[in-house]
Amino acid sequence: MIADYLILSIILFCIGILGVVSRRNVFTVFMSIELMLNAANLAFIAFSRLHESMDGHVLAMMVMAVAAAEAALALAVVILLHKHKSKLDTNMFSLLKG
Amino acid sequence: MIAELLFSVFAVLAIIGGLGLVLARHPMNGAICLVMTMISLAGLYSLLSAKLIFVLQLIVYAGAIMSLILFIIMFLNIRKEDLPKEEWRWAYYLGGIVVIAPVGLLMTKAVKALPGSEASIMGNGFGGVKEVGVVLFREWLLPFEIVSILLLVSLVGAVVLAGKRRVEQ
Repeated sequence: MIADYLILSIILFCIGILGVVSRRNVFTVFMSIELMLNAANLAFIAFSRLHESMDGHVLAMMVMAVAAAEAALALAVVILLHKHKSKLDTNMFSLLKG
Repeated sequence: MIAELLFSVFAVLAIIGGLGLVLARHPMNGAICLVMTMISLAGLYSLLSAKLIFVLQLIVYAGAIMSLILFIIMFLNIRKEDLPKEEWRWAYYLGGIVVIAPVGLLMTKAVKALPGSEASIMGNGFGGVKEVGVVLFREWLLPFEIVSILLLVSLVGAVVLAGKRRVEQ
């Protein structure tokens, strides 16, 4: 059933939100965002199978490209922050607080 | 049916991987758990007859992006004492679950109201390179080009951010 795939996607998305909300490690937060993107991809593919059209596959490819760009930029920022403060705690990064 | 059995196996593996990512203390263990989730998601895509996305998930996500993340985690050489202290982790988990669970239940209820359809595996003419390519280059040409510009910008941005600063004369 298609609904099972969608429910699995909801579960994975909720786990991703939980990781973003409750963890303080930069890498874990970043990988939780990746998990949320993956859950969205699963929903796209499941809806594409439900309607038997290929638009969902194209959107999933776009999401993958955005995730790759995000990974490159976010990891560069994490390297800079680690160089600057030598910490991985998101609470330490308050440079924009003024 | 073998398809339902495979779906259950992949779904359980994906959920275990996601929970492992959120619960693991060291990001290295979390990254390995995330790789497990991504590979089982690739299996689910193949069950949904998305052949091209199945291959792309394995190559781009589990191959390229995760190896980049693992490379950076190993590059920074994180030891136990470098990790942030998270004494109130379990309280945060509980609070997060309390906030998220109603939303998840609401969405589950909405999904269950959808018209049901069997996820039987389709043969030729669905999800291959040709079908996706025809739709991509006919109806989604402008977003495709915008994505290429996005990739170029992120490439330049990553080089500028992580590259060596030039010493001022």
